[in-house]
Amino acid sequence: MLYSAISAVLFYVFAFAALLCAVGVVAFRNPVSSALSMALCFGFTSAIFFNLGATFLGISQIIVYAGAILVLFLFIIMMLDVKSEEERGVSSFVSTVVGVVVAGVFAGLMVKAVEALPGSKGGRCPVHVLVESSGELCVGEEAEAAAQMPKLQPYGGALPALQLPEKSSDTALLGNTLFSRYSIPFVLLSFALLAGSAGAVAVGRKLRKD
Amino acid sequence: MMDTLWNWCCDVLSNPTWFYLLTTVLKLVLVFAVILAFVVVSVWIERRVAGWIQDRPGPNRAGLPLFLLNRFGSKEKQPLKETLHFFGCSQDGWVARLCRWLRFDREIPTFGLMQPALDGGKLFLKQEITPSYVRKFYFILAPMLVLGPPLVAAAVIPFSSSVSTAFGDISMCVANLNIGPLWVFAVSGLSVYGLTLAGWSSNSKYPFLGGMRATAQLISYEVAMGLSIIPLLMMFGTLNLQDIVQSQAADGWTLLPLWGQGLSLQRWLLFIPLFLSFIMFTTCIFAEANRTPFDMAECETDLVGGYHTEYSSMKFASFFMGEYAAMVIGSAMVVTLFLGGWSIGFGADAALASCCEWLAVLCQFIVFLLKLLAFIFFFVWVRWTLPRFRWDQVMRLCWLVFIELAVANIFLTAAILYFVK
Repeated sequence: MLYSAISAVLFYVFAFAALLCAVGVVAFRNPVSSALSMALCFGFTSAIFFNLGATFLGISQIIVYAGAILVLFLFIIMMLDVKSEEERGVSSFVSTVVGVVVAGVFAGLMVKAVEALPGSKGGRCPVHVLVESSGELCVGEEAEAAAQMPKLQPYGGALPALQLPEKSSDTALLGNTLFSRYSIPFVLLSFALLAGSAGAVAVGRKLRKD
Repeated sequence: MMDTLWNWCCDVLSNPTWFYLLTTVLKLVLVFAVILAFVVVSVWIERRVAGWIQDRPGPNRAGLPLFLLNRFGSKEKQPLKETLHFFGCSQDGWVARLCRWLRFDREIPTFGLMQPALDGGKLFLKQEITPSYVRKFYFILAPMLVLGPPLVAAAVIPFSSSVSTAFGDISMCVANLNIGPLWVFAVSGLSVYGLTLAGWSSNSKYPFLGGMRATAQLISYEVAMGLSIIPLLMMFGTLNLQDIVQSQAADGWTLLPLWGQGLSLQRWLLFIPLFLSFIMFTTCIFAEANRTPFDMAECETDLVGGYHTEYSSMKFASFFMGEYAAMVIGSAMVVTLFLGGWSIGFGADAALASCCEWLAVLCQFIVFLLKLLAFIFFFVWVRWTLPRFRWDQVMRLCWLVFIELAVANIFLTAAILYFVK
């Protein structure tokens, strides 16, 4: 009870921090600051995954995005010495329209996702639950008194953490799902990645003079 | 009074939340202290072994010089002479000669152990220069980003087996995660940000080149490192480091399958891919820790000082400590995955645990530290034996040799696991 209340509070902390960093990516003038705030955003996102018990997803978020892809971003930014003020070729009206359309589509998607969350209706404030369940920290006679108190019902809010049976890990769960039920989409997606890297080699190779 | 206190302690510990919190904090402090102590010890080992390999004494004179104390300074009143007189030994007998040979007449010998402390003191007291042309925020942030990750990565490394107390079981590992090796790779991989930012924020040519080299090298070798331990994970079938070490204690270390299930044909055939992956993993650890055959990012011959050229005083020392902490964590990973971690070996763990669990845990902790020391010695040995590679050789080794070899190694392991039962 106490743990789930703490993790619910932490969810809001991490989610707010991730959103703040995401705003920072757009708001910072210096491209290096933008890239670093994106890295922080990935870090907070993976903290949310950890909070939900999906440790493998969280750690692959750090390894793949923060540890590799973003470092390459940073590498390119520093190597090419990207200036903070770049002139855009597209007029501001077109970019505004495109931006509004894209933002609208994403907003619709998010409203749909939030409505589909389990326990999104009739939720209780997680801080309130945290305060009420702090009786679990009592010791001795106070603990007995606290045990007599009526237990709170599970509340809405963040997603409940993954409850796994003993001696099984979320890594195995993910692997079994990915390589049995979704094996064909997985292979197709990896072909898309292969095509991308082949294209990068084709663009980047030196042309022979002969 | 004592009874009340004792009862209160029992009450607190029998609450599972408090029990978990208190034991975790204790383990955290222990691991942190061990890592920082090993940073200091590995600096000492580095200097002594370097001296030994190059056939010179090394720092053996950084004792407490007695001539500084005026009272003892005069020839007649040397402390050694007075001590010998007190015990009634002759002034030129074999005891006196032995003491003189050990330089007891001039200093209190510390075998050079004072050297790291003096180094640290010197770096604390030095003037700190921040050049005017640097990007200040990132310049200050970079050393923190180098020193922090290795200390965080240590959380998943098991340093002993578990004990069951009256209040609950304690697993001797700060965070017993199901993704142990991945956690270490991910978190220690983050120190590349520190190196890159140090190079970039210094706003000067050589640090920048050093930072670029560090980025390219660390990212490349991280790929090879991840691929190289997959055969091992296939054999153990788990990503939990405590479980991996436990099965090594029961069935033979990865590189020493001499007891339990380790004597089967399958394990001995698996020894081939596992030994290959040991070599690759160790090399990648060297590259990740930026140690000498691979210290392209800070090689003095091409780049002055690499990414930390512009740093001075404690900021420089942070880079230095970060490098050594990465070396300690890398050694701990090699020891945990390939050399049996905390296990004493030959079935001694189970025998000791059945006799007294706390004794077993203590012995295993000491064995783990000894293995760690031995591997750090190996690290230093390699550094002072092999010359530095060229930059293109380093990259070619990773992309054209290690990654292909690691993938082939995975298929070989799969074949052995499938066909040989």
